[in-house]
Formats: sequence, C-alpha cells, structure tokens
Amino acid sequence: MTTESPPLTSGIDATQIKKYVPLGILVVGVVLLQLVYGSSVGFPARLDTLFSGPVDSMGEWIRDNRRSHALFTGFFNPLTDTIDWAITSLESLLLWLPWYVVLAVAFYLPFRTGSWKQGAIAAGVLLYTGLIGLWAPTMETLSLMFTAVFISVIIGVPLGIFGARRPRVERIMRPILDAMQTVPAFVYFLPLLGFFGVGAVNATVATVIFALPPVVRLTTLGIRQVPEQTIEASRVYGATKWQTTLKVEIPMALPTILTGLTQTIMLALGIVVLAALIGAGGLGENVFQSLSQRRTGRGIAAGLAIVAVAMVLERVWRSFATLDPSKRAPQRIRRAGLVAIGGATVVGRALGAVEFPKVWRLSAFDPIDNVVTWARDNLSWITRPFNDFFVGEIIVPVRRFLTDDLAWPVLIFVTAWLFWRVKGWRSAIFGAMAVATIGLIGMWELSINTLVQVMAATVISVAIAIPIGVWAGRKPRVEAALGPILDALQTVPSLVYIIPVVILFTVGVVPGLIASVLYAIVPGIRITALGIRQVPEESVEASRTFGATPRQTLVGVRVPLAAPTIMAAINQVIMMVLAMVIIAGFVGGGGLGFETIRALTRSLFGLGFEVGLALVLMAMILDRYTQAWGERLQPPPGA
Amino acid sequence: MDAASPTCLEIRGTWKIFGTKAERALELAAAGRSRVEILEATGCTIGVRDVSFDVARGETFVVMGLSGSGKSTLIRCIAQLTKVTEGVVRLDGQDLTAMNEDQLREVRRQKLSMVFQHFGLLPHRRVIDNVAYGLEVQGMAKAERHAAAKQVLEVVGLDGWGDHYPQQLSGGMQQRVGLARALAVDPEVLFFDEPFSALDPLIRRDMQDELMSLQQDMHRTIVFITHDFAEAIKLGDRIAVMKDGAVDQIGTAAELITSPATDYVKEFTKDVPKAKVLRARDVMHPANGAATSGSVHGDELIERILPTLLIDPTPVTVVDGAGTPIGIVDRAAVAAVLEA
Repeated sequence: MTTESPPLTSGIDATQIKKYVPLGILVVGVVLLQLVYGSSVGFPARLDTLFSGPVDSMGEWIRDNRRSHALFTGFFNPLTDTIDWAITSLESLLLWLPWYVVLAVAFYLPFRTGSWKQGAIAAGVLLYTGLIGLWAPTMETLSLMFTAVFISVIIGVPLGIFGARRPRVERIMRPILDAMQTVPAFVYFLPLLGFFGVGAVNATVATVIFALPPVVRLTTLGIRQVPEQTIEASRVYGATKWQTTLKVEIPMALPTILTGLTQTIMLALGIVVLAALIGAGGLGENVFQSLSQRRTGRGIAAGLAIVAVAMVLERVWRSFATLDPSKRAPQRIRRAGLVAIGGATVVGRALGAVEFPKVWRLSAFDPIDNVVTWARDNLSWITRPFNDFFVGEIIVPVRRFLTDDLAWPVLIFVTAWLFWRVKGWRSAIFGAMAVATIGLIGMWELSINTLVQVMAATVISVAIAIPIGVWAGRKPRVEAALGPILDALQTVPSLVYIIPVVILFTVGVVPGLIASVLYAIVPGIRITALGIRQVPEESVEASRTFGATPRQTLVGVRVPLAAPTIMAAINQVIMMVLAMVIIAGFVGGGGLGFETIRALTRSLFGLGFEVGLALVLMAMILDRYTQAWGERLQPPPGA
Repeated sequence: MDAASPTCLEIRGTWKIFGTKAERALELAAAGRSRVEILEATGCTIGVRDVSFDVARGETFVVMGLSGSGKSTLIRCIAQLTKVTEGVVRLDGQDLTAMNEDQLREVRRQKLSMVFQHFGLLPHRRVIDNVAYGLEVQGMAKAERHAAAKQVLEVVGLDGWGDHYPQQLSGGMQQRVGLARALAVDPEVLFFDEPFSALDPLIRRDMQDELMSLQQDMHRTIVFITHDFAEAIKLGDRIAVMKDGAVDQIGTAAELITSPATDYVKEFTKDVPKAKVLRARDVMHPANGAATSGSVHGDELIERILPTLLIDPTPVTVVDGAGTPIGIVDRAAVAAVLEA
C-alpha cells in the first residue's frame, strides 16, 4: 500500500481539481461578462413592444367586435349571460327568502345526511354574517362562489374520470393543471376581462380556472383507488361501462373527490377579495373599503364573513354526497324539515318579515381600531427604525446592485449555471431563455424589484417555517396547538390582516412583505412537520441504539430523510409568496404587483400581458429550480 | 355442442402474455425458451402458458398454485376479464374469445358469476343491494330483485342482515354476501378466486363445508382457485396444479397423491394426511386368489380400514355398490401410500 501512495495522491488531486471546475466556470463567466457588458445600464429594451403592441391591438379588436363578431355573439356572450343568470338568480333567491329560512336550509342540508353538528355550524356562521349587518354582500359572495364551485364540479369530475380511464389523457392534462396552479390567479383576470367583461362572471371564470385542478386530480386519484376486484365484480355480472362508472366507481371515489372539493373551495376563497378589483362586488368590496379607510375592525368583520361563506359552502356541498348512508336522518324527520322550511317561507313572505333585522352594525368591531391606533402611536420607536433599516439597508441596495451594478448577461448566466448544476444543460437553456424573455418584454427592472421582495419574503419565511415545522413534527402537541393559528392565517383573506400592518408601518415594501410571510409560513410549517413525522420510526430507533444524541439523530437522520419534503415546503413557500405579489403591490410594494393592478383597473391589455408573462416566467423558474433540487435530495430509487 | 352436453367449459391452448411484443414472445415460447429468457428478450411476462382442459357440467374444478403461478390470470382469462393472447375458451360450445363486448355482456348476465378474494363488495350499498347488483345491471325491477336477493341471503344464512352495510359485517359474513351475490343471478358457471384465503382458519373451514353442502344441492359448474393444497383436495372433483403459468398435472386428489407427475406436485402431496384422503379403491389391487377376511366399500377412507388391518393382517375385499368384489387391500399397499 505504502509503495503505491504517490499515484494515489495524484488521483485525489485530479478529482479535487475536477470538483472545482463548475465553480471555476461560474467565476470566470461572471467576471468576463461583467467586464464586457458592465458599462451598459439595464436591459437593452429593444424588444419592448414585441408583445404589448399586438396584444393591445387584440384588446382593441375585442372591444370593437364584442357586440358583432360571431365568436362573441355565438359563444362568449351567451356563456357570459348564462353564468350571470345563474349567479344573479341564486342571489335573488337567497335575498327573496326570509333570512331565517336561509339559515334553516343551511342547517337542513348537512343535517339531512346525518350530521346535525355540521348543520349547526353552517347555520351559526351564517347567522354571524347577518348579525354584523353583512347579510346582502354575504349572499352575493355565496352565490358567486357556489356557482364557481358548481362549474368546477361539472367540468372537473368528468375530466378526472376521463383522465383515470386514459393514462395518455392524464399525461397531457397534468402539466396544464400544474401551470393553472403555478400561475398566480390574478394574472388571468385581465385576459378574461376581454372575453367575459367586468364583473362577477369574470371573477367566476377566474375562480374556476384557479380552483379546478384539485377536483380533476383528486377525481382521477379516487377512481384509480377503487379496488380492481370491485370493478371486476361489476364487469363479471355484465354491467356496462356506464353502469360501472355510475354505480361503482363514482360512489367509491366520492370521499376523495370531496377532499378535492374542499381544496377547491379554499382556493376560491382566496380569489373572492381580488374579485372585487374587477367589480364582482360582494364581501371583497367591504374588505377593500376597510383597507382604504384603514378600519382594521371592519376589515376583520368582513374577512370572517368570507371565511363563513367558505364554511357554509363546504358543508352544503358535502351534504350532497352521502358518505355514510347508515347515518342518514330518518325520512320522516327529513320530510318534516322540508315542510317546516316551506311553511316558514310562505308565512315569512306573507308577513313581510324577510330582511335580516338590524342587530349590530359593523361598528361593533371598531374598538379593535383603537388597539391598532394605540400600537401605531406607541410602538413607532420599533416600527420606524425597522422599516427604515429593512428598506434602506437591505431591499434598496440589493435591488440597485442587481439592476445598476450587475451587467444584465451576468444574471442570465448565473441562472443558467444554477440550473445546470441541479438538472443538466437542458434545464440551463430553459432558465437562461426564461430570464432573457423577461428582459426582452421590457419587464427587467420591475421583475428584479419584485424578485428582491420575493426572495426577502422567502428567506424570512423559510427561516421561520422550517424550525417551527421541525419542532411541530416532533411534538404532536405543538402541532395541535399551532393548528387553529395556521388555519386562521390561511383562511382569513390576507388583505384583512394587512390592514393593521399598513397602519403600523405605513404603505411601502414592509406591509406586503409581512403579509407574504404570514401567508407563506403556513404551508412551510405544515409540510416540514409532515416530512419530519414521516421519517420511519425504525430509522430513528436505529440511530438511538447506536447511542446518538437527540441532536445527532435530528441532524443525521430526521432532517436528511425529510429533506425532499422540506424542499417541497420551500417550493410551496415561494409559490405562496408569489401569489401575494399583487397584494404587496396594492399596499405600496411596487414592482410587478402594482403594474398588474394598474393594468387591471385601466384595462391595459398589453401591459397586463407583459406583467403576467413576467410573473409566470418567474414562477416557472423558481418552481422548476426548487423542484429539481428536491429531486436531487431523494434517495436513489431501488432496483 | 349444446347446453345438455356433459362438457361445460373447454379451454384450449390458452396463452396470456403481458407486454407489447406478445407475438415475438409466443414465437420464443414455441421454440421452448423459458419464462426468464423470454422476459429478457422481449420484456414480456408470460402469465399463462399453453393451458388446456375441460370442465364437466356440475364439476368442481380446482386450479391450485402458489403466488405467481398464473392461476389468477388463468381464471381472468376464462372469465374474459383479461383478453386471451392466444387460444380458445368455449362455454357451452360458444367461443368466448371471439365475442365482442356486447355479446360477452349477455353471456355474463345469463351464465357467469364470480366470488373474489377481497370480496369486491360495494361499501356504499346495503347488503341486499350488493346481492341484487347482478340483477340490477340486468335491468330487473327493484321489488323483484330484492325479493330474489332476500331468498339467496337466506340460503347463505344471512337472513335479516340485508339492511346492514358490508363493512359492518365480519370477514366471513362479507364473503357470504359475495357468495350470495354470485348465486343471486342463478349462474351456470361460478368462478371462485381464492375466496377463503383472506379468512381465519376456522371460518375458512366453515365456509368450505358450506360451499360443499350447497354444491350438493346446486350442481353448478365451479372453477375454484386456491393456493392451499388441502383446500384443493377437499373441494375439488379434479385439480390442476400450476407452475410458472403452465399446468403440471391434472387429476383427482387420489391421482395426484398416488402418482404425482412431477417433483413439484409431489412436494405438495408430502404433508397431506393420506389416510384421510385416499379411499379403498385408490390403493386396492387385484385379488389373485388371495385369502381375505371381511369386505369394505370402495369409497371407504383408508383411515377407516386401518384399525381392521392393524388387528388382522389378512387382506380385506373391496366391493362396489352392488356388493361385487373389485379387488383387495392389504397392509403392504396401505403402508406404501402412507409412507410416500
């Protein structure tokens, strides 16, 4: 051995040199590109109008032809009218019915299939919306969301079944569904504006696009999970394909389909507030009003009403599918309930007792404002310096460095290098092209502005979410305690909790950042905890029998085994932060978010398209990069 | 051939090959290549390899094999749940492999039913609606099919359980529901795909006994799949032993035990309590004028003759139903089969 040591060491030297080659390429490339292009400031905006021109003229064409062209008179206008008719008739029905009848129906539907508790919750949260004087806008939002969920179901369930039957169809659908969820919902508000006009219909269609994927995915999953023998049993007795689908597959997939529906409703919830931006009305408008008037209390009141709508919807939809038939309420009682509801309607309409009585007003929530005002006046010694330091010392310098000091090709090169390292040269080309495209459409500086904020929010969120997630994953009691807080953060519309933050920090980058962090840490914590919990107990025990300390077990076993899941958590954090870009823009964050709102409110199709494309590209870059990283962390597959 | 013919099912040269290059795999198999060689060359797995046998009307035909032997694939080929790659499956003389989906559905509705290992029940339907499922897909009215289902539930000893849901029942009771569902359509052929292997040993024995007593009244044609040799010899009029997709031997329990065709078959017969399975006629040989004392019926189990032979070394005469001597049984013959 000793005699052969010289060639051995030289071998090590070679591999060591090889290890530094990629790093060398990076350094040389960056220095070279910086030297060559360093003098040029910003991205050469030659292709600025590549897209905005044609898109603008298309927008104009749509505006001119909406009343005459066959595409509109024959398809989009009737479709718009139908959806609009559905929403407005449901809304007028809900407002025509005496309020107590609506409450009774909200109770009756879940009760009918066996759960009086769920019925009581549904009726209870609806009662709340009436008590605070938000009955009418609640009914408006309820109608919109119900219609959106209904359309999602009638499109999503057949698509899901189709996908389960034909693996090839599923392979084509999957990337499309992925894209529908990766793209922040507000990006397609504007293009839809052209086809469906301003108002509730546009919001409904946007909600359907955003909320459809879970229904499709989980329907496919549910149908796939039906045991093979059960389907064979159906076939061997001579059932047709349709009989098997209707009598066996759909009923057995129902629990999974319902899980998808719950997710759909949650996603739809997130759009309700934004929908107010394009004139959909309802509770979203109340939230926006509270924000512009800086009324924290009223904002919370309206936000809770939105949560109430989601809770009612979920229970009502679930009640349409009887999961456990043995729990159904007896027919006698069900009939009596229907008769009582009918009777109350007739009597109520005859007596004219229809409208919700004025009990409390929104002002009941005003005392909350006093707390926020007090905090603003007395905590400025913390908030001011924090704000100034964060913006002045971190965000602005980083942004300046990226836009003014760094030559633009360097950024493209670094992106390509990063992709190359995790997934090979194909991905590197994708990364470089995506970054270059953002520059080519003239979104360079706006995108960097947004990127810096997104990265800042991501870093903070990850720094908070992963330690808490690891902690929660190891201590079930911690996770149980965190549950309601996380639920609240995810369901209460983010614009609601942004109100006090804006009051405390004034408009600017910081409120958007805080809102993004609050929103994004939820999946971060949940998924990390899941990953830690899923580490096989045997591996942990094995580590302990060798005498590892809890710390060694955590660092050496738990975290590495959970690493792919933790990477998925980081991926979700970034996606959530991106979803908040528009909210950040709304409270003074600038960047792409602000431009989106400008394009939306003024119907600037070209700008909207460019901003949307830039956001989509940014989302795709970050999504693919983190996913590729997660794949690398997976242990090698077995034989 | 018609419905009165003694042969109910005919399986002729049946192959099932999984994979895209089935043609090439068939050629290789015809050239005598092994399962592994064909898998390496074509990526195709051979599920069933050139299987042929007849099942007589009213016979209980058991296909026995270990997991991976292709027995489940075989029964699915016969029931046309998977397409046969090559070969013919005839039911009452009609070739099922040549039928289209509509014709096949008609045959299934009129003649076939199946009992599954994991029951294959519908958890969202009450027991009575599970039992009536086959009648429902045929389009029978609700009152009528419920009446029929109720009757069958009584037959399998589940009267009064119709309004429960399957998951509220024990495993043995669930399989009774599966059996009732199969009987409700009044089938000509019943397929059993390891129906009792998910059950506890004691319940399994009860179900076997129950199936045997039902079969004594029904006289259906049964194709029964199992991995349990004891179950096979208990239930089967004839047994096919499968290995690597092919049939090693077909015969009655006694034939398999007394003259196993391969070492593989012999391996299974080793632990069989032969005195409880073999009968006098299985071990007898011609009298050749030897002196005997007493006589036994040819269908008498060896274990019943043993005490006599132990007390008295003289051979015993074996007689048929009419009392005519057909051979003798002696100590040496009994000892030979018990030892094997």
